[in-house]
Amino acid sequence: MASVELALSAQDVSVQFDGLKALSNVSLAVPRGRITGLIGPNGAGKTTLINVLTGFQQASSGIVELEGPTINGVAAHKLRRMGVARTFQSGRLFRELTVVDNLEVTGVGLGHNRHHAIGEAERVMEWLGIAHLGGTIAGALPYTDERRVAIGRAIMCTPRYLLLDEPAAGMSEHESHELATIIRRIANELNIGVLLIEHNIGLVLELCERVFVLDSGEIIEVGPPQQIRDSDAVRHAYMGTQRDEPMPALAVDGAAA
Amino acid sequence: MSQRPSVLWRTIATPLILTVLLLVIAALSYQFGSRAFNRTVVEMFINIMVVVGLYVFIGNSGLLSFGHISFMCLGAYMTAWLTIPPMMKSITLKGLPAWLLQTKLSMWIATPLSGLFVAIIALIVGRIIMRLSGIAASIATFGLLGVVNNVYSNWDSVTGGQGSIVGIPPTMTVWNGWLGAAVAIAIAYLYAISRSGLALRATRDEAVAANASGIDIVRERLIAFVVSAFIIGLAGALYAHFLSIVNPGAFYLRTTFVTLSMLVVGGMYSLSGAVVGVVAISVLIELFRNLEKGVSIDGVTLGLPNGFQEVAIGVITIVILIYLPSGLMRNRELTWPSWRRRQAVPRPAQPALEESN
Repeated sequence: MASVELALSAQDVSVQFDGLKALSNVSLAVPRGRITGLIGPNGAGKTTLINVLTGFQQASSGIVELEGPTINGVAAHKLRRMGVARTFQSGRLFRELTVVDNLEVTGVGLGHNRHHAIGEAERVMEWLGIAHLGGTIAGALPYTDERRVAIGRAIMCTPRYLLLDEPAAGMSEHESHELATIIRRIANELNIGVLLIEHNIGLVLELCERVFVLDSGEIIEVGPPQQIRDSDAVRHAYMGTQRDEPMPALAVDGAAA
Repeated sequence: MSQRPSVLWRTIATPLILTVLLLVIAALSYQFGSRAFNRTVVEMFINIMVVVGLYVFIGNSGLLSFGHISFMCLGAYMTAWLTIPPMMKSITLKGLPAWLLQTKLSMWIATPLSGLFVAIIALIVGRIIMRLSGIAASIATFGLLGVVNNVYSNWDSVTGGQGSIVGIPPTMTVWNGWLGAAVAIAIAYLYAISRSGLALRATRDEAVAANASGIDIVRERLIAFVVSAFIIGLAGALYAHFLSIVNPGAFYLRTTFVTLSMLVVGGMYSLSGAVVGVVAISVLIELFRNLEKGVSIDGVTLGLPNGFQEVAIGVITIVILIYLPSGLMRNRELTWPSWRRRQAVPRPAQPALEESN
């Protein structure tokens, strides 16, 4: 499907942990400059899939491709240098460093000298509107700011792809709207292909062009938001899980920012 | 574009203050100290080199190493081979290659050469050990200590085996002891503010996120390992000149234990902590050494039993770990009193032992 456009893609990827199949024959593509969604109940394998796409987890079988070339087995830090960035559910900021140093150290990791890395860090903070946080020790940041800094760190030196692992978890509605604006700008202004993993399904349906639904390690549905909203399979997968509001169909439509 | 003063400018105070403080100690000792006291001070300067070397690796990477004293051993023996007069070598160390048997270098040339030799060995060994994670790497460094000790204890024709090699020119004074400590501090400081040092401290705080930031953990650890080995190799070389004899027993468990205690007591995540820890423990060791000799009161000599010194240092280390887990310096750096800027050189972090990945 996505063969003509530039994309980060997985083809028939399976991951096995000691007999437990975390992913089975998953295929997914994240095109450049677009926002793709990945949803699914807890334990569906979403984070495992992100780990495979970013080099933190080896696929037991299947192919991972970055705009053509196969990237199976490429180490995580090398993939980041090739332009595949990610955030983590738990933030994972360098808690002892200031915000600007958090970004700077990423610039250094990507091979820049410190002066250039600081320049890029300041540019990114400006772009994200978090310049005022620069001198704060990352460990002292409130939750929402922590998320924004994590995104700032991930878009240092403008990667080609950005995989966001539940960036809106724990955010208020207002805050997730701000986040939605940022994610749109990342895709549109920076031409970054975004994969958004979220439990906040409203946010996913609002932002994404295409949504993949993962359940028990398998893709059970792919399509535009409308199709996901109407899908029986998706509705079924979410039934009985702990999600409070499985399909907030209407609440999100006015939210486009 | 950046309004921040450069990293060098913000942090240069720390190495300057440390070096000047040590210079004051050297001058006072030279002026007022007895010969024995001067020797104690030289030994302290050499220990500062060792502990600063340990800090470069342990402090920046968060990994404990029990193997760095083997680098001291390698450096000391290399210096012995390079500086002992050929006459003596040809009798005691028959197994040396001919070119080495005929070599006779001065301390000023032999010391950096020994450091380089050790750095090359560390590069080879480190390429394997640095791939291991957390506690496995620490245990592997302990293995390195054992291997080096065994080789040097048993390769009689080259190292003289268990016995001592004599004849190394005794050229150490407080001044070149101070110079060695100053060089070690300068290298450690430059490493800490380098790109590699910054990246390595990020891996210490959050290894996974560091990976996701493009940082090659194995590479950065290896760089720190080699730099620290170089510093400790220099220390070993100077130690050989200090004692003028070397034997493998001097570079084994006791030295490993004492130097690690010094680092822990001072605070393992700051350069100032490394230096302050050595000074503090050296003062205590000297104190207990005198108490072991005994104090004479009315003809009765009251003394502590021999070996009390080691016990006391062990207890003090434990007490520090309990009440001041970040050491005497609390992982902070010495800086100008009025300069309240935050520093880019090491910051507090979780203890190395909690590292898991």
